[in-house]
Amino acid sequence: MNVNESAGKELLDQMDDTQKGKYLTFSLGEEIYGIEIKFVTEIVVVGMQSVTTVPDLPEYVQGIINLRGKIIPVIDVRLRFKKPPCDYNDRTCIVIVDIRGIAVGLIVDTVQEVLSIADQDMVPPPQLNSNTYHQRFIKAIGKVNNAVKLILDCDRLLSDDEIVSLEQTG
Amino acid sequence: MKKVLIVDDAQFMRLSLKTMLEKNGFHVAGEAENGILGIAKYIECAPDIVTMDITMPEMSGVEALKAIRKHDPKACVVMVSAMGQESLIKEAIINGAKYFIVKPFKEDQIVETLKKICQTKE
Amino acid sequence: MAGDHTLEPMLDMFLFETDQLLEQLEQIIIHSEQSDTYSATDINEIFRIMHTIKGAAAMMLYDNIAALSHAIEDVFFYLRDTNPENMDCTKLSDLILSSIDFIKTELKKIREGDRVDGDAAALNSSIKNYLEILKQSNPAPLENSGTGVISVTNQQYYIAQDKKAASTQNKCFKAAVFFDAGCEMENIRAYTVIHELKDFAEDIHYIPENIMEDDSTCEMIRQNGFVVRFSSDRPLAELHDFFGKTILMKEFQLEETDPPASGEKKARPQQIVLEDPVVKIPPSPEEGLPAKNSEIHSSNQQSMISVNVAKLDRLMDLVGELVISEALVVQNPDLRGLTLDNFNKAARQQEKIISELQDMVMSVRMLPLTTTFHKMQRIIRDMCKKLGKDVQLELIGETTEVDKNIIEHISDPLMHLIRNAIDHGIETAEEREAAGKTASGKITLEAKNSGSDVIILITDDGRGLNKGKILDRARQKGLLHKPENELTDKEIYNFIFAPGFSTQDKVTEFSGRGVGMDVVTKNVNSVGGLVLIDSVAGEGTTISLKIPLTLSIIDGMTIRVGNVRYTVPITTIRESFKPQAKEIINDPDRNEMIMVRGQCYPILRIHRLFKVTTSVTDFTDGIIIMVENEDEVLCLFADELLGQQQVVVKALPPYIKNIRQAEGLAGCTLLGDGSISLILDIGGMMRRGYSL
Repeated sequence: MNVNESAGKELLDQMDDTQKGKYLTFSLGEEIYGIEIKFVTEIVVVGMQSVTTVPDLPEYVQGIINLRGKIIPVIDVRLRFKKPPCDYNDRTCIVIVDIRGIAVGLIVDTVQEVLSIADQDMVPPPQLNSNTYHQRFIKAIGKVNNAVKLILDCDRLLSDDEIVSLEQTG
Repeated sequence: MKKVLIVDDAQFMRLSLKTMLEKNGFHVAGEAENGILGIAKYIECAPDIVTMDITMPEMSGVEALKAIRKHDPKACVVMVSAMGQESLIKEAIINGAKYFIVKPFKEDQIVETLKKICQTKE
Repeated sequence: MAGDHTLEPMLDMFLFETDQLLEQLEQIIIHSEQSDTYSATDINEIFRIMHTIKGAAAMMLYDNIAALSHAIEDVFFYLRDTNPENMDCTKLSDLILSSIDFIKTELKKIREGDRVDGDAAALNSSIKNYLEILKQSNPAPLENSGTGVISVTNQQYYIAQDKKAASTQNKCFKAAVFFDAGCEMENIRAYTVIHELKDFAEDIHYIPENIMEDDSTCEMIRQNGFVVRFSSDRPLAELHDFFGKTILMKEFQLEETDPPASGEKKARPQQIVLEDPVVKIPPSPEEGLPAKNSEIHSSNQQSMISVNVAKLDRLMDLVGELVISEALVVQNPDLRGLTLDNFNKAARQQEKIISELQDMVMSVRMLPLTTTFHKMQRIIRDMCKKLGKDVQLELIGETTEVDKNIIEHISDPLMHLIRNAIDHGIETAEEREAAGKTASGKITLEAKNSGSDVIILITDDGRGLNKGKILDRARQKGLLHKPENELTDKEIYNFIFAPGFSTQDKVTEFSGRGVGMDVVTKNVNSVGGLVLIDSVAGEGTTISLKIPLTLSIIDGMTIRVGNVRYTVPITTIRESFKPQAKEIINDPDRNEMIMVRGQCYPILRIHRLFKVTTSVTDFTDGIIIMVENEDEVLCLFADELLGQQQVVVKALPPYIKNIRQAEGLAGCTLLGDGSISLILDIGGMMRRGYSL
C-alpha cells in the first residue's frame, strides 16, 4: 500500500510539474487572458452547443449546456467583466473549467494557445486608481516576449461578489 | 493457496476475517451466514479450512460442524467463538473441530492459527 | 488494528450491521413489552444480537459497547438457560432500551469522528444488578452447569489400545507447554494438544487435571504451563516437532523421563483418550444435512448483498443517460425518411429491455416503510411514559415501498407529526373518559399506494384542532392574508404548518417549540410531496402526506416557450386547452384570468415570469395548461405542447443553485434530442405568481 501511495504521489507531483507554469490563453476583444491549465478540462465550440436559458440568474450566466449527459452552467466572461456583449461566431469557445469540483463553462471570444510563463515573468496586477471592474478578477500579469497576458483568478470568477462591486460603485 | 470458507452470521465478522485472511495469502472461497448455508457452501466449494461461528440463527455452528464432518470426515473446521462459550467449544472439539479462535481475535493470532493448521494437515 | 488502512470498510460494516441489529432489537423489545413477556424465540434472538454486537465491538476496540452488550448477553444467557418465572419485563425493557440508546449515541460519535468516550458503567451495573436479583428470585432447582456439554463430563475415561500395540518399546516423556499471553481458553487449547497426542501416545497424564470440566484451570496453565506426561514409541525429534506445531504457543519444554512406578500406571483417572469423534456422534434428527438443506443448491441460494447507495445513485443516473441516448439513436434526424424495418424491430426490442432495466433499477432502490414506521413505536413508548398518557399505535400497510431517498426525507416529518399528535392531540386519560372516549388514545399510521404516489395517513383520535385558537395565533403572527370569514377550515388548519407557528403556550420537551410543523411541509415539499390536514373537533385529526414513489423519474409534459423547453410534472396537470378570446378576463388591476366552466382561474404567463423572449404573447396563439398544487389551481400560458414522456430528474448544477435564489424550478432533464428541459416546480411558481 505504501508503495502504491508513493507511486501515486510521484505521478501527481509529475503532473503538477508538467502543468506548472502553463496557461491556456484566450482573447476577449483586444485583451489576452490566461488561465492555469490545471483548471481546464475541455474546450468546446459554442456553435455545437445549444445553451438553455435558466431564469432568475445574473445576466452573465448564460444558462446551462448538456455536455455528454453532464449539465454544466456557462458564464459569458465578457458580461462577467462588464464588457460590451458580442455576438457568438464560429470562433467563440466554451472553456470548461473545474474549480474545486465545480464545473463551469467560460464563454470566450476565441481560444489562443497554451503558454509557459515562468514565475519570474509574473508581476502582481498594478493597483491603479482607474480600477476597471474586471481587474478584480486578475491575479497576476504575465509577460511573454513583449505581450502581456492577464492571468485570471478562478475563485473570484465563481464567487458571487456582485454585492461588493455595488458597494464600490455606490 | 489455501481455500477458506467463512461461516458467520455477522457480516462485519465475515468482512474482518476475509480482509485479514486475504491479506495473508489465504483465498476466501466462500462465505455463508448460517449453518445451513455453511454446509451447502462447503459442498459447493470444498474448502481446505472452514471458520465456523458458533452462535448463528437457523443452525448453530456446532450442528453445522457435525453435519460437515459427517459429509466429509476429513473436513478441517475451526470454530470461532467468544469468551464464555467454553462448553460449546469443547463440544465442538469433541465433535471433530480442528481448533478454535477466540473473538475478538487479532490478525497475527488468526493467521498463525490457520497457518499452523495447514502445516499439520500436510 | 487501529490505524490500519483496511479498517475503513470494516468500520462501515460495523456501523451498518450494528445499526441494523439495534433496530431489530428495539422492535423485539417493544413487541415483548406489549405482551409483557419474552418468548423463547425472542430471548434467543436477543442473545444472538447482543452476542454479535459484542464480538464486533470488541474487534473494533470499542470496549464500552462490548462491555455493555456483554452484560445484556449474560442476562439473556441466563433467561435462555433457566427460563425463570419471576421476572420484571418492564424493568428489563427499560434497561435494554437505554442500552440501545447508549450504543446508538456511541455509534453516532464514531460516525462523526468523535471520541467514543461514553461511560456505561452505571447502566452496566444496573444490568448486573438486575441479573443478580433475577437469580435470587429464581433459585436454580438443581445444580446446573450452564450450557455445559454434559456428555463431556459424563464421559468415561479409559485408555484406548494403542493402534500399534507396541507399548513395550515406548519411552516416557514429559512436556510443558506455555501458551501466548492473552490467547484465552488455555484449557481447551491444552485439550486439543492431548486430542492430537493420543494418536501416537499412551499413558497420558496431565496437570492441571479436569481441563475440560473446570474452566478455572486456564489460570493454572497460564501460571505454570500445561504439563503432560506420556509414553510413545516416536523418537524425541518427532515429538519435538509435534509440540512445536502447537497453535498460539509461546514456548514448550520436552524431555525424556524415567518410566513411572508401575503402581502409578494403574491409577488412571486422568487418563484420557478420545474415540474417533465421527463415530461417537449419536444419530439424532438434527443430525447431518437437514431436510431444508436438500433444497439448497449453490445456484438458487437466496443471498443478500449490501450496496453502497452512491453506487445505486450512479446506476440510476446511468440508466437515465441510457434512456436519453437510446432516444438520441432511435430518433436520430439522419434516419428520417428511411424505411428501416429491421432497425425498427431491433430498436423496439432494445426499448423493451431498457425499460425493463429501468424498472429493475427503480425497484432496487425501493425500500419498505417498515423500519421508518417501527421507529415511531419507540417514540410513542417513550413519550407516553414521560407524559403519562396511554397511546396505542396501529400500523397499516407498513410494507409499502418507497424510493430510499424519499424515505430519508419523510422520517423526520413523521416523527414530528407523531410527537405532535401525542403531545397536543391525544388528551389525558381523565379528559378522554370525561369526553366518553376510551382511556387509551389511538394513533393510526397508514401507508397506501395511489398511482405514482404513496399516501401516508397519520390519524389520532384526540381532541382535534382548535380553530379559534389557531385563528387567534395566526392573527397574532400576522399570517392572515384574507378576511377571516372567507377562510375555509382547511386554510385555517394549514396555518399550523406556517413557520414559527405554535399554539402551545408552554414549550414542552417533545414539541411545541414553534419549529417542527413547518419543517414537515418543507421536507415533504422538497421531495415533491404534499401535506393535507383534516380535523374534527373532539374526534381527532388526520394528516395525510402525499409522496411520489420516486424522485428520479417522473412523467412529464414538455412544453415550449420561446426557444426554451419546460417539463410540467403530469401529476400536477388537470387539463390543457387552446383558450378562446371570450374566456379571458382582465380585472381592473390588470390581472389576467380565464373562465372555465363557470370558474375563474388566474393565468401565469411563463414567458413573463421567466423573462423569455417569444413571439407568442396572444393567448389565442398559445396554450393554457391548468395545473394544481395543494388544492390551488393556476393556468400556465405557454407557446405549445411538445409531448408527454418520462424524464429523468437531474438537479441543477450547484453553481446555479447557489446564485439562483428564486423558486419555480425543480430541476432539469435531458430530452431525446439531447437538449435540456427545465422541470417546473408548480408550488413554487404559484407562490411567485401571488407576488407578481
